[in-house]
Amino acid sequence: MFWRLVFQLLRGSRARLTVAILALVSGAAVISGLLNLDFGVEYQLTQQFRTLGANIVIAPRAAPSLPESGPSNPALMNEAELSQVQANIPPRTPYSPFTYVVARAEGNPVVAVGAWLDQLQALNPTWKMEGNWVASRDDSAACLIGRNASRQLHLATGSALRVQYLNQTAECRVSGILDAGAADDNQVFMNLRALQSLAGLGGKVSLVQLSVNGGPAAAATAASQLTNALPEVEVRPIREVTDAEGHLLGRIRLLIVSMIVLILILTALCVLATMAALAMERRADVGLMKALGGSIGRIAGIFIAEVGVLGALGGIIGAALGAGLSYWMGLRVFEAAIPPRWEVFPITVLTMTVVAMAGALPLRALGAVKPASILRGE
Amino acid sequence: MFARLVKESFSRNARRKVLTAAALVVGMAVATATLTIALEVGDRLAHEFRSFGANLLVTPQADTLPVEIGGVDYRAVNEGAYLNEADLGKLKTIFWRHNIEGFTPFLDVPAFVPQAGGAATLVGTWYEHDVPVPDGTLFKTGLSITHPWWKIDGRWFHDGAEECVVGAAFAAQHPEIKIGSTLNVAAGEHSTAVRPLAVAGIVSTGDAEDNSILVPLSIAQAISGHAGQIRSLFVSALTKPADALAERGEMAQNDKNIQLTPTEYDKWFCSPYISSISFQIKTVLPGTEVHAIRRVAETEGRVLSRVSTLLWIVTLAALIAAALAVAATSATTVIERRSEIGVMKALGASNVMVTGLFLIEQLMLAIFGGAIGFAFGAGLARILGTSVFGAPATPQFILVPVVLGLAAIVALVGSLIPLRRAAHLRPALILRGQ
Repeated sequence: MFWRLVFQLLRGSRARLTVAILALVSGAAVISGLLNLDFGVEYQLTQQFRTLGANIVIAPRAAPSLPESGPSNPALMNEAELSQVQANIPPRTPYSPFTYVVARAEGNPVVAVGAWLDQLQALNPTWKMEGNWVASRDDSAACLIGRNASRQLHLATGSALRVQYLNQTAECRVSGILDAGAADDNQVFMNLRALQSLAGLGGKVSLVQLSVNGGPAAAATAASQLTNALPEVEVRPIREVTDAEGHLLGRIRLLIVSMIVLILILTALCVLATMAALAMERRADVGLMKALGGSIGRIAGIFIAEVGVLGALGGIIGAALGAGLSYWMGLRVFEAAIPPRWEVFPITVLTMTVVAMAGALPLRALGAVKPASILRGE
Repeated sequence: MFARLVKESFSRNARRKVLTAAALVVGMAVATATLTIALEVGDRLAHEFRSFGANLLVTPQADTLPVEIGGVDYRAVNEGAYLNEADLGKLKTIFWRHNIEGFTPFLDVPAFVPQAGGAATLVGTWYEHDVPVPDGTLFKTGLSITHPWWKIDGRWFHDGAEECVVGAAFAAQHPEIKIGSTLNVAAGEHSTAVRPLAVAGIVSTGDAEDNSILVPLSIAQAISGHAGQIRSLFVSALTKPADALAERGEMAQNDKNIQLTPTEYDKWFCSPYISSISFQIKTVLPGTEVHAIRRVAETEGRVLSRVSTLLWIVTLAALIAAALAVAATSATTVIERRSEIGVMKALGASNVMVTGLFLIEQLMLAIFGGAIGFAFGAGLARILGTSVFGAPATPQFILVPVVLGLAAIVALVGSLIPLRRAAHLRPALILRGQ
């Protein structure tokens, strides 16, 4: 009987209900779209911050000192000590060992860097390359050269570079000229193995740079894991990067969250007003039911159930629309879709149902009114 | 007669107006607050980005290649060119001088420190230093502005005092060096001019400076014999994200084949792009090379442009929500007053008359509610600005007409549709309540 009444009411006044459903659906779409966006925005922003480059450095415990003192330099790490790095970082994290020596090229002193050349682009997304990146870390014939170094040494892409260290010489072909906007512009980047054998530093590494994705918290977790796994070396997050990133992310999140809260309140108010209007239009029906002997509790229950069904329906449709909305916003702002989160769905439906039912509460106030006066239209 | 009707409606039926007015106030307050924040957020975030430190590096035009590993220059002291400390005040005379947040000079000097077992690197710099600007004022700048992430245990050296700050790694290597102890620093092992420097603090930089001794610039200059000279300068400047024009301007600096038209040049020069600021610095400091620290500059540009797009979308959502809320309540009040419309029509009022009366009422409510909403919204923006950026957002009075116009439009549109429907009904039906 109760549910039959509810469905009869829903069937009876389609025009009115269309307006209410419209308000509910658009409200739910805004709520679920913004909640999805809010959950996705932190991940997207940390992605953007990865252009800052490496955020963790692994260095020897002792201070790095001048590597010109020869092969027995104490400020270098053994590659064997670093074998656990790969196992302790998230997969596909860009990282590379670096070995620095002061060598001579074309008679000029220059910093020669040995590295995994295939990782440089992922580690430093802002570097500009004239020529080609080196695709393989085993290609010992190719090297990269900084912008200033190329000007000073009069080298173009494709030309041969001879690097001299003490009485050893290595030769490689300049594959590309890089523009880093940093000290790297003065350096020559060679294959790690080639540099190690040139300098007689077989298996020795000055430092390792890692670019861990996922914001300051992920960087801190990775750093502490690495510290446990590699007791002989020092693992430190690059604070310049992680601190500032955390600080900014916090500000941006707070800003977006506070604006979203404002919008949510406003949307809830809007839906509440629409539902209250709908409920007040039912006054004549309430009067009739009271005259037929219904208790006010039961009558109000029928109407609250009616708007509750409406709210749930609007919430479900709106939540689906909102997921599409946040997907689109992600593509528009970050060039990457923001995937819908399952938590958002029940939150949205529940919010809309509760708000819609709250809108019907004024009907309870009609309990005090005599049915005759309602029916007379007063 | 018309005016009297409006007046009567407001004085007799004030309770009914409250709902619409309240919706208008809340809706317009949110619209004002979000618009105010969205208008300001670019400047505010650009400011926040300075926590990444300097975004420009000024070095002498390279005569030899800097041989630098981990921030320490391995060239001999007498090799390579230097910048003049006396010229630095000129940085505050460029077109975008107010966008120069701060700058810090560095002078790396090899030194002999017996307590550290011999050779050590001194880094001469400023923590807080008053730079004389050519216009006669002083500008306070130094590490405190360009390197805010450096953490100090103890305190920084006073400018020009016989004090120093040691790096954390250096201190860890020499446990006998503590805050309060004195280091005897000389230029070389056989140098007789030994300067005793009191250790004021231990700094952790997360960078190469952790292995060195930081001293006031004047002391590093005196020890190395390079009075009034510096090796490099870090500049922290507020910039605007790069766009197509910024890139063309930058290319025109390096490539003679690309020419900007005079209008393009003026626009480029008068925008705080990182390329135009570095060009202006190069003009006042001839013989230097100015590099954008691209890592910082580019990330800043990317994040800034994305966050502002995001915020405009959120603002748009706020505006739509505000409009819906106002329109919905306007419609509700009109529906509630259908019997009133019936009476008016039964007494011979024309549709135009009835519609006009209601629209005037809504318009007055909109202006009243919009004005109060603006005041509330400005307050809300202040609170939001304080909690997010630590400084209140300034009220944007340019938004007053925008908000009032928006309020009027949504209130009118919201009531127009139910009014039209009411106008088409026959009065008798309305009065009977059907």
